[in-house]
Amino acid sequence: ISGLFRNVVGGKVLTKADLQKPMRGIEEHLLNKNIAREAAVRLCEGVERELVGVKTGNFESVDAVIRKSLTASLTKILTPTVSLDLLGSIKSVASPSSLNQRPYVISIVGVNGVGKSTNLSKLAFYLLQNNFNLLIAACDTFRSGAVEQLRVHARNLKELSQRESLGKVELYEKGYGKDAANIAKDAVAYAKQMHFDVVLIDTAGRRHNDARLMSSLEKFAAFAQPDKILMVGEALVGSDSVAQARSFNEAFGRGRRLDGFIISKCDTVGDMRGTLVSMVHATGIPVLFLGVGQHYGDIRTLNVKSTVDMLMS
Amino acid sequence: MVLQDLGRRINAAVSDLTRSPNLDEKAFDGMIKEICAALLEADVNVKLVGTLRKSIKHIVNFKDLPPAVNKKRLIQKAVYDELVKLVDPHAEPFKPKKGKPNVIMFVGLQGAGKTTTCTKLARHYQSRGFKACLVCADTFRAGAFDQLKQNATKAKIPYFGSLTSTDPALVAAEGVTKFKKERFEIIIVDTSGRHRQEKDLFDEMTQIQSAISPDQTIMVLDATIGQQAEAQSKAFKETADYGAIIITKTDGHAAGGGAISAVAATHTPIVFIGTGEHMLDLERFSPQPFISKLLGMGDMAGLVEH
Ligand SMILES: Nc1nc2c(ncn2[C@@H]2O[C@H](COP(=O)(O)OP(=O)(O)OP(=O)(O)O)[C@@H](O)[C@H]2O)c(=O)[nH]1
Ligand SMILES: Nc1nc2c(ncn2[C@@H]2O[C@H](COP(=O)(O)OP(=O)(O)OP(=O)(O)O)[C@@H](O)[C@H]2O)c(=O)[nH]1
Ligand SMILES: [Mg+2]
Ligand SMILES: [Mg+2]
Repeated sequence: ISGLFRNVVGGKVLTKADLQKPMRGIEEHLLNKNIAREAAVRLCEGVERELVGVKTGNFESVDAVIRKSLTASLTKILTPTVSLDLLGSIKSVASPSSLNQRPYVISIVGVNGVGKSTNLSKLAFYLLQNNFNLLIAACDTFRSGAVEQLRVHARNLKELSQRESLGKVELYEKGYGKDAANIAKDAVAYAKQMHFDVVLIDTAGRRHNDARLMSSLEKFAAFAQPDKILMVGEALVGSDSVAQARSFNEAFGRGRRLDGFIISKCDTVGDMRGTLVSMVHATGIPVLFLGVGQHYGDIRTLNVKSTVDMLMS
Repeated sequence: MVLQDLGRRINAAVSDLTRSPNLDEKAFDGMIKEICAALLEADVNVKLVGTLRKSIKHIVNFKDLPPAVNKKRLIQKAVYDELVKLVDPHAEPFKPKKGKPNVIMFVGLQGAGKTTTCTKLARHYQSRGFKACLVCADTFRAGAFDQLKQNATKAKIPYFGSLTSTDPALVAAEGVTKFKKERFEIIIVDTSGRHRQEKDLFDEMTQIQSAISPDQTIMVLDATIGQQAEAQSKAFKETADYGAIIITKTDGHAAGGGAISAVAATHTPIVFIGTGEHMLDLERFSPQPFISKLLGMGDMAGLVEH
């Protein structure tokens, strides 16, 4: 009982000393949720700055005050400041009524094995359900089996959409070894000629510290002129997510940044969803989708509240 | 490379302390704090870092140190020993024998690098005079067999798989039986990615394992994995009882502390590390020289003898 009362300091003006110990606990909590230390420390500093000198309410414990402040900061970080209406953006470009009708181009980038090709296919399924016609461009010309992987997905999706009379889908591929930027450019031209609504471009996985592969992204963006560059980040990844996000965000040349993240494999981490926070913290780029499994339907838009609840639990 | 920055930081923290004119308890605590921060930034499991902190404090027991003792040496050794403990499980990995079939099964999370590493390992043994081959028991992932086939073809390694079957245990058994008959010595079986939260996928892993009774099961772990490493690697250990770990993507920037926590949590040795996307990007791993290198201290190894 005494412990409980000691913690309840209604009407107390909080000092740095009061906060020190509970903040250490909070930092550990955030690290346990797989938030990169850099982001966790910054979050804690923010909370501390906000709370020093604040008078707690009647019967309000220090812990409760901290939790409230942290919940608010996490919510603020994860809440996008720009509109994420992807379907609307596509329509405004690709619909016959738009002024310069052309296909809407989305490219998917990220490090090796995070789930680019799979989540591209899930995104394709989502767009097909919204009756868009899609061209999938196989621009990973490096990894063995990358083209066949997309061919299987395109075939499955075609079958699914025919059965449910959804949109049209086709694969554009030129095999292996060729320059990805060129294929992307040709795919977009082909899509325009054939009146596809959306081009989804898959790219090869690359390490963010591989200068050669990273620098080729600039040419890629110049050639493909994507409306949206989405980076897939993997929920399993720890601190490296910060550097991944920063490096990709800076890889597309002057004035071109990422447009959003897809955080994959959320189903493999339970409530340890810290990667989301790390990546957004590093860049300010919003999370567009979460990958939550290996099937076409396993993609969700971000629900900020439920994610924050998981991080606070 | 993996752990290099971590090593540099730990090293700096230790030598800052031991070089400082007044080596008092406050400075010692500061060093421990700095080491723990470095470990946490490297994705070492949060609980594990807590344990390590306590162990070093306990071993050094700064308060009761007699003034005559060589504090520098004592502290260095304590830090070194605790770090070695993290990556050295004191378990001997399986060694394949020539003249008999050695079946090796790969398991791991989605996208960890299993399929790529399978071929690397087959090639490794092939170049050491083993008759090696590959079996694709991933009947789930789109293009999985094509991927293995193309890699195997490039490396000139015989392979087996099916484009139509949906039963990985069946394909695995068929492939292993065939290659055993043909007197292959290293038979590597690739499986789909899976995770502990999906029971069906774990059941499937058990089924494949009982269908082929591997001589060794290897868990493939991505060097970038964070705080889920412990829970996932433990769950795989409980179900598949793997005897070795391969860490992939060590050519990236990640410090690899998650993967190291998996070693600590499962007492399983790392046997190889993947250092790139190409066939030859595979290196043998052993913990002791690794840690000395990590700490950048040739003299550290000498300390252990004392
Ligand atoms: N559990 C789970 N697995 C996923 C998810 N997204 C992708 N995967 C799996 O992750 C593995 C890798 O996916 P890919 O789509 O091939 O990854 P990639 O980024 O294209 O890989 P590279 O092209 O080789 O760099 C596959 O086994 C996918 O099924 C997800 O949201 N949840
Ligand atoms: N940079 C780098 N990339 C690697 C390494 N090992 C594998 N990769 C890449 O990681 C990605 C995934 O590798 P895969 O071998 O397909 O992974 P997997 O575990 O078989 O994936 P699933 O079968 O879908 O679970 C590919 O792009 C590989 O080229 C490595 O050591 N370094
Ligand atoms: Mg891919
Ligand atoms: Mg595979």
